[in-house]
Amino acid sequence: MKKEDTVKLISAEGFEFVIHKDAAMVSQTIRNMLTSPGGFAETEHGEVTFPEISTTILEKICKYFYWNLQFASGKQTEFHIEPELVLELMMAANYLHT
Amino acid sequence: MGGACSRKRDHQDDVYDFQRGFSRRYAKSGSSKWLATSFTRPVLDIQPGTRNGPSLMDLCVRKICKDINKFNTFSMLPRDISQQIINELVYSGCLTDVSFEGFRDCALQDLYLGECPGVNDSWMDVISSQGSSLLSLDLSGSDVTDDGLIYLQDCKSLQALNFNDCDHISDHGLEHISGLSSLTNLSFRRNSAITAHGISAFASLINLMKLDLEKCPGIHGGLVHLQGLTKLESLNIKWCNSIDDADMKPLSDLTNLKCLQICCSKVTDFGITYLKGLHNLSLLNLEGCPVTAACLDSLAALDGLLYLNLSRCGLTDEGCEKFSRFGNLKVLNLGFNDITDAFLVHLKGLTNLESLNLDSCKIGDEGLVNLTGLQHLKSLELSDTVVGSGGLHHLSGLINLESINLSFTVVTDSGLRKLSGLSSLKSLNLDTRQITDSGLAALTSLTGLTHLDLFGARITDSGTTYLRSFKDLKSLEICGGGLTDVGIKNIKDLSSLTLLNLSQNCNLTDKTLELISGLTGLISLNVSNSRITNSGLKHLKMLKNLKSLTLESCKVTANEIRKLQMTDLPNLVNFRPGGK
Repeated sequence: MKKEDTVKLISAEGFEFVIHKDAAMVSQTIRNMLTSPGGFAETEHGEVTFPEISTTILEKICKYFYWNLQFASGKQTEFHIEPELVLELMMAANYLHT
Repeated sequence: MGGACSRKRDHQDDVYDFQRGFSRRYAKSGSSKWLATSFTRPVLDIQPGTRNGPSLMDLCVRKICKDINKFNTFSMLPRDISQQIINELVYSGCLTDVSFEGFRDCALQDLYLGECPGVNDSWMDVISSQGSSLLSLDLSGSDVTDDGLIYLQDCKSLQALNFNDCDHISDHGLEHISGLSSLTNLSFRRNSAITAHGISAFASLINLMKLDLEKCPGIHGGLVHLQGLTKLESLNIKWCNSIDDADMKPLSDLTNLKCLQICCSKVTDFGITYLKGLHNLSLLNLEGCPVTAACLDSLAALDGLLYLNLSRCGLTDEGCEKFSRFGNLKVLNLGFNDITDAFLVHLKGLTNLESLNLDSCKIGDEGLVNLTGLQHLKSLELSDTVVGSGGLHHLSGLINLESINLSFTVVTDSGLRKLSGLSSLKSLNLDTRQITDSGLAALTSLTGLTHLDLFGARITDSGTTYLRSFKDLKSLEICGGGLTDVGIKNIKDLSSLTLLNLSQNCNLTDKTLELISGLTGLISLNVSNSRITNSGLKHLKMLKNLKSLTLESCKVTANEIRKLQMTDLPNLVNFRPGGK
């Protein structure tokens, strides 16, 4: 994984997830951050911090990004969501526009 | 998605109702009428062909709906999220009084509970808790009573309220909504308890723009209370059969009215004189009113009139020369009147007409010569007239025609050649016994056709070859009895088909179902009165979009269709034999 192809997502607790840019850009919000010219610091450093998203939820979201890529390429499996996470996950999904 | 979008999902517009006035004979392909209503439901499912999978948001919403019993409240969620959850619950038919309790104090904007079973007064407290956030509420078909309406007094911002088919609401309940002065849309269709007294509660709804009281038979004398509602743009009092001339007087000052529907009332020419000053009126529906050509004097003053429905008014040729003054009209419905060829000369100057309905009038070939100048005509309804092949000659120059209905006319094969140049045609109804294969052969140039009705025509297997020209066909009906499995080979590649009716062709076998098994766009399929058997059903497994399946008088059992529905056809909601 080349560094320029990845992006670092940082949770509220400071936990870091390094994932493919392609996957992260499943989120419209992250896509805007990474592609808008000049503006965001995130564009330069390839790092995005989410002070309101917990580690558990951010991990689940990263899993979703990869699941979505697989889905688009034809491997259509079910995405499992634990009932106890669903409300928090949904608020994050709403923010991330995904 | 979300609240903002659902706001635009407005209630059905009457104008479209009117434009579709050229009625299809739904009775024969029983299911299509009902399909039209179910199409309007919002769809959350994965769209086939789109590259991206379902959004995480959609997945979460569906997960919550599946486990709805595990959640006590959604009030901590942002409004747009809880709105999406309830929309999905309603859509999937999973909302109950218990799960609805979780939406207390969610500041929801829209509650479309019109299709929910079991809605009654016990739901009203949660509805009321949305307070001034609530903008639109649909309680159609519910058991809500007069007492339940008390709760709406807290929802001061309500803009749209629907109470169609609410049998437990009467005059007494209407008093409780009289304070909702933000209301712009109000609908109480099919309520037989509302009287003139109840209408008095509307007098304070000064922002009302659209009022729908269709089929409220007791409201005679009540329209006087609408006199001050000067913002009113649309009033529907169709089939309120107690409405008479006196009820028209209070409407004379409602000069913002754009749309007025008073069909099947007792309003006569005298009542119509009160409408003379409604200069903004663009749609007037007088279907089935006891008016005569004398009312045209009053109507001629309405220079903004675009849509006029005078069907079933008992008009004759007498006095109809006044029609020549309606040069602005775009849509004119004169169906089921006693008018003849002599009348049509008065339509010569109506060059803006886009839709003309002459269903069941005493019209023949000669009269149609007067239509040759109506170059904007898109839709022409000539069903049940004595128009024959000679008359079609006059239509051959109407190159903008998109829809012609020639069912139950005396048109024959030899005349259809005259239609072959109408390259804009999308819909053609030739449901008439004397049309055969050779008639169809003359139409192969009409490659834009999307709807072709050959219900009673005598089409045989060899005629089906011509169908190959109509690659865009969405609906096709051939029910004349002449088809065998051999002919279906020419239908199996019409991949745009959503509605296919092959009933009454009693020689069709399971082979037919095998041949059409690749028509995955099909939403409605009818192969009744054929030799289809239970063992043919397996060929339908790929028709995932199928909502309606009719196999009456076949060797097919309801149980086998139900099995297929369970395992392979999740969208199937209506099937015969069987039940819902």
